[in-house]
Formats: sequence, C-alpha cells, structure tokens
Amino acid sequence: MSVFSRLKTPTLALIMVTVWSPGLLAEQSDPSVCPTSDGSWSERALERSLSTQLGLPTVPHPVDNPPTAEKITLGRKLFFDRRMSINGTMSCAMCHVPEQGFANWELQTSVGVEGRSVKRNAPTIINTGFLDVLFHDGRDMSLETQFIMPLISRNEMANPSVGRVVAYLQGQPEYQPLFDAAFGAPPSLDRMGKALGAYQRTLTTGGSAFDRWYYGGDKTALSDSQTRGFELFQVKADCASCHVISDQSALFTDQEFHNTGYGWQREQIRQNPSPTTRVQVAPNVFHEIDRAVVASVSAPPQADLGRYEVTEDPDDRWMFRTPALRNVAMTPPYMHDGALPDLRSVIEFYNQGGPDHVFKDPRIRPLDLKGQEIDDLEAFLQALTSPGLDCLAAEARINAPDNF
Amino acid sequence: MKRRQFGALATAALVMGGPLRALADETCQSPYMPKITGHEEYVYIWTLGVEGMGDGQDKMVTVDLRPGSETRGQVINSLSIGGRNEAHHAGFSADRRYLWAGGLDTNRIFIFDVHSDPANPVLHKTIDTFVKDADGPVGPHTFFALPGRMMITALSNDDDHGGRTALVEYTDEGDFVETHWMPTAENMRGAEAVDGAVADGFGYDVRALIRKNVMLTSSFTGWSNYMMDFGQMLGDSEAMKRFGSTIVQWDLHTRQPKKVFNVPGAPLEIRFPWGPNANYAFSTTALTSQLWLIHEDDAGEWQAKAVADIGDPTKIPLPVDISLAADDQTLWINTFLDGMTRLFDVSDPHHPKQIYEKKIASQVNMVSQSWDGNRIYFTSSLLANWDKKGADDQQYLKAFTWNGSELVPDFELDFYELQLGRAHLMRFGSSELYSA
Repeated sequence: MSVFSRLKTPTLALIMVTVWSPGLLAEQSDPSVCPTSDGSWSERALERSLSTQLGLPTVPHPVDNPPTAEKITLGRKLFFDRRMSINGTMSCAMCHVPEQGFANWELQTSVGVEGRSVKRNAPTIINTGFLDVLFHDGRDMSLETQFIMPLISRNEMANPSVGRVVAYLQGQPEYQPLFDAAFGAPPSLDRMGKALGAYQRTLTTGGSAFDRWYYGGDKTALSDSQTRGFELFQVKADCASCHVISDQSALFTDQEFHNTGYGWQREQIRQNPSPTTRVQVAPNVFHEIDRAVVASVSAPPQADLGRYEVTEDPDDRWMFRTPALRNVAMTPPYMHDGALPDLRSVIEFYNQGGPDHVFKDPRIRPLDLKGQEIDDLEAFLQALTSPGLDCLAAEARINAPDNF
Repeated sequence: MKRRQFGALATAALVMGGPLRALADETCQSPYMPKITGHEEYVYIWTLGVEGMGDGQDKMVTVDLRPGSETRGQVINSLSIGGRNEAHHAGFSADRRYLWAGGLDTNRIFIFDVHSDPANPVLHKTIDTFVKDADGPVGPHTFFALPGRMMITALSNDDDHGGRTALVEYTDEGDFVETHWMPTAENMRGAEAVDGAVADGFGYDVRALIRKNVMLTSSFTGWSNYMMDFGQMLGDSEAMKRFGSTIVQWDLHTRQPKKVFNVPGAPLEIRFPWGPNANYAFSTTALTSQLWLIHEDDAGEWQAKAVADIGDPTKIPLPVDISLAADDQTLWINTFLDGMTRLFDVSDPHHPKQIYEKKIASQVNMVSQSWDGNRIYFTSSLLANWDKKGADDQQYLKAFTWNGSELVPDFELDFYELQLGRAHLMRFGSSELYSA
C-alpha cells in the first residue's frame, strides 16, 4: 500500500480546502513530485540536514552526534512508535502531526495518555534543529535530551520510567539491527536521544517566497502586498525586533523570552471566566452555554507562568520563548495555549498593544495598523511558507506508525 | 407498525419458532441474534476503572436480575481485565455465546464467554492488535453481530487521532478479515453525497436492516476529543469544529458505501425498528439535540430529515443513548448533561412527540429496556473525562418499572460506593439461551 492510499489525514494542500480549513491556502508542493531518486529516503534526509537551504543557516549538528542515514532511520521509527507510551496510544507524532505542519491544528492544547490535559499548544518541530532553547518555556536545550520529559510526563506519554522504555526497546528484535546499524550498540537512553535528534534535524525547510525574494534576488517572488507587509514587519509593527531577520538567513526568532502581556491576560481570564462559553455545535451553528454547565464537566484549568516554571525567578512570570515564524501559516492555532485561531487574530492582538500589564515588554504597544496594513502584514506571513512541507510529511509517512 | 400488528407478528413468530419467539429481551440488538426467552436474568455492565478506586481497572460487572433470587439487584460478579482502556460499548456475537467489549483508548477488545456460566462471565480472548490488524483505525466502538462475523466501528486513527476512521470486520473467532474505510470528500469510495453533505470519514454506530440490504453508520469525533476533558473541549474552538455531520448508507452485503447524508451535530446511536414494513431508522445528534429519521421514500430512495428537537437544543442537553421499544411505538432518549430521560411517541415516525420525562440523576448515559418494555435500566458514565466532576459525578445502575405512565423505582446500585468505577454499557444475559 502506498503512503498516500493509507493516509487518513489528507495532505496539507488537501486539508486547507476542506470545510474545517484552518487558514488561507498557502503555497504547497505536489507530493507526487517529491524527490525519489538516488538512494533511500534517509540518505536524502541526511543530505538535506547537511546542506544549506535558501534562507536558513547550516544545521548545527552536535560534535558528539554527527548525523548518519542509519540514525535518521532509527529516529523516524522511534518518533512514530506509539508503543513508546505506557499504553501504546501516544507517540511524538500524535501531537506533532506531519500533515498538520508537524504541529496540531485540531486542538488548542494537547491531550496525552488517558486524555490528560497538557496546558500548551504543540509547537511545530520543523526547523527546531536550529534552536538553542526548546519548548515554549525553554526548559531544555538539546534535541538529544528534550524527549525524556514527554516520555515520562504523566500527561504526555506517561511511562513510569525511562528505564522501562529502554528495556522495552532492548527486548524488541526489530530494534536490534537498527541500533546496531546506527551505533553498533544496543538500545540505550542516550542513543535514543541521538537518533531522535538526528531525525529531527532533517525536518528543515527554507526556500519560501520570502527567501527567494530576500536572499535569492527574485524580485517577483513577493506580491506588492507582501512587500508592504515586509516593511511593516521591519519598521512600523517592529515584529522583527524579536522575530529576527539576519543578512544571511532568518529564523524569525531571537530565541529569547518575552512578556507580551498575553500570558498574564490569559491568567486573568482563567481566574475570572466569562459567565457563558460560546460553543460550536455544527458548522456555522453556535450556542452560548452557562459557565456552570461547562464547569460541571471541567477539571480545574491550570495556571501557566511560562518561563518562571523553569527558573522560579519572579521576573520571568508569563514570559515565553519567541516562536520562529517560518511556516507560521501552516501551524494554527496560535500562541502558547493555542487560543488565537488565525494569523489575523494574532496581528490584532499585537496591533492593540496587548493588555495593560506592568511587566509587559515595552515594545508591545498599540501599533496603529490600519485595515490594508493588517492585510499586508498577514500576506507577508503567508510568504514564509516553504514549498517542501508536503514532501517532508510524505517522507515522514514512509512507513506506518508502530502499534502493539 | 401499530401495536396490534406487532402482537400478531409476535404471535406468528412464536408459532413458527422464528426470531421473535422471545418476549423478554433487550431491544435494539442485532437481528441476527437469538432472543432471551423469559425474564432477563443478568445484566452485564462494562465498567470503567477509576484511578485510586478499588483496583482501578476496567471490569465486566454482572448484576443479578432474576425474579425471586436472593441476590436480585446485587453485584454477583466483577471481572477485572487489566488497565484502564476507556471501556465503552459491547455486543454479543451472532450466536450470543460471546460478548465483545472494546476499549476506546487502548484499542483492546475483550471477548467474554457468557454461555459457559452466564452468571459468571470469563475472559475468553483478548485482541491486542486491532490497530495493527486493521492498518490504522483507532477506538473500537460498536460491535454489531453478523453471521459468523463481528462488524466493528472505529472512531479515530493512528495518524492524527482525528475522526477519520473505518469499519473493521473480524470473524467470530477473533481473526481480522477486512477494513472498510469511511468515505471522505477526497475519496468517496463510490458513494454519493446528498443535500450538500461533506463526507467527513467519521464513525460511531452501525446498524442494519437485513431485508432491505441497508447498513447505516453515524459519525462522532476522534480520540483527541473523546478522550479529553469535556469542559476543556467545550472551550476549545478548534476541537469543537471536529465532530461528525454525516450518516452513511451502505450496501450491507457488499460493504459498499452508497449515500452520505448531511446530519449535522454528531449523530450517534442508530436504531432500526422491528416491524416487517418499517423501512426507517432513528438517530439523535449529540450536539444539535435533534431526533433524525433516515427513511425510505415512496420512490425507494433513502433520505434523512430531522423530525423533532430533544429538550432545548440551545442548552445542549446532549442526547446520548436511545432505546426503541420492541413494538416500535416509543423511544427512550437520554440526555447526559441534564440527567433526563424522555419518552417519545414514535408511532408516526415522521412526527414524534415527547410524552414523558424524568430526571434520573445528575448525569445519565445508557438506557436498556426489556423486550416487553416493562423494565427500564439506566447507567451513568459517558466517557471518563466527559463525566461530571465532584458531587455530580454519580455512577450507578438504576432499575425502574414502566407502568405505562411513569417510571417507578425498583432498585439501584452506587458504583462508586461499591468501589467499581464508572458504569457504562449494559447487555442482558440469561442461562435459558444455553440450556438446550
């Protein structure tokens, strides 16, 4: 069975035109023309992770974890293996869904083992190989170690220990040759991390319309509206002071932590919820439901103090890492808790200057963007989508997920 | 079918020894199954384990219903099966010797032997490989008996835990046969979309009308939604976009999807009547709180239309289980959020009318009635993370007698007080089935 005949999830391009379309149709590639020549998929992925794509820096591979096709093959299998959770229901890919920009369009915040609530939105893992700090709160610094916490977090994959996972892998005949090929050694925790890190560093894609325009010299790559949006991004809206664009490449993040007032605002709403909740019951049908009804079936919502939960420094309350904006049109919903459904909502939040909050970053201020300017800024964000996303998703689906 | 027609049919069936020879069985079962003769003797309750309560495991609980028994109305057996699997629905095999019960979370299927000792079911076999067998469907839900086969609806998939899913067929022995993916807008699999329906590929229930070669499936939501905290989901605008809006008509024998109907708001249970000329089925939509009729028109084409509101739809009472009387005249409809049961007169299926209502508890989910309609049983749990919190999280089996005008309490069991867990699906058992 081919990859595309099995897929329950339609490709990115298909999803965007269905009734549940999360955003505007963006530039996408045709999966049927994804590269297929010259060796295996993992060799092509290896070549990609060692090359420099237009608009991106070179992938920074750790000195002690040089990539190989064998590590990438193993890392992909681990990433999609649902047996890595305590009850065989969760893998990395259940929250970082390839066809959904390696994020999740269908939930504001993630759901883990036994349906347990995660308080944050699943970020895309595309281009995370370039980041120095990981997670919304920067709690880890390396792809080689970040996987451990999701493995054992009770509300994610819920394993009682990492040792249990390693022991499981050691007992699986299918994994023995893969670890042997990648490391010449049996499964271990650090080897799992190296394989997962090597695989995730292949999930890189540049070459967006913006890249072709800004770095490639193609003056026709952006529309007039997108060009105006770029100017707004740089100057009037000052987005670029945090979502940085450098001379040679752009990750669209300073990799720093900022208090935009959004986290504080969400905490105020958590403490003082509205008396009703607007609930969609069918396409274009909504009802306002009393808070008491919703509360009767709700676990208490969790507070989120952002970076403070890592540092315990009061000054870090409600600070979150600046997200990279590449492919941002392909990763709704937005913000650390996914409460903003589309790019327009995000722009409007910043245009209004965020809530009046004493610890807020002074750069968050009313922007006075007018209607056409908002359109232009949104158009520019659409220009950050790489044409290779569908091919990354297709490559990721080279084999079916592992199940018991 | 009118009551007198049903009476004549039942009498004729008794004489002929046909499928309606029984007079006291739960309705709404697969028509391929034998019926219980006499009074239902046991009710098997597929019960969700609760962390920190008792052994914390899912279990099949057996309650004695035998008239005159010293243990009538009591739990006489509880069989824990290991883990919390999101125990949900269950269905007998066509020979009614085995009860298949599914876990919506872990995808495990537990096959209980209920014929060797109907008072004490034992675990006969566990299928741990449902997702791998079927190549992707997640969340085994309805178990609908076909001759020698078990047709299972799934609710989700292992790609993204969304709602796209399939029907999966096993032999009675528990061997995988085939996966039938639901039609989607991108791949209609030969089906036709009716009245602007957008084939969502979602699944929930399956029922069949054999003499018309019609099988119907309904559509709920994927794992991410049915597993998550209910209140969190109601506030998640993305999650709330992802509920089914379709009922699909299939060719029962070829498993070919024929039509996709537009039924917005998550149509759940499907019930065909028993009458020989009753060419229709009922379903209810959970979110839009409507009773729907899927019926054959004068031209022989099947259609779908809403025929009644259930409670006040703007308050989202959340219709859940339904139970159609064996004479096809009345339909019990439970609504989870207000804890109500409502009885509808459906003698004219195109114009149902509510004729009775009663609050059962703070929450109510399943309803099962005896074949004669005199005994009505209710249980409480919808889904582990959708059930109410705190004091409103009442978990029970409640038995009532229906005297024609009101529900009269018979007995009730508090499943939390008994340290059992969350009471969900009920199926009736009887030793009389296996005595020949």
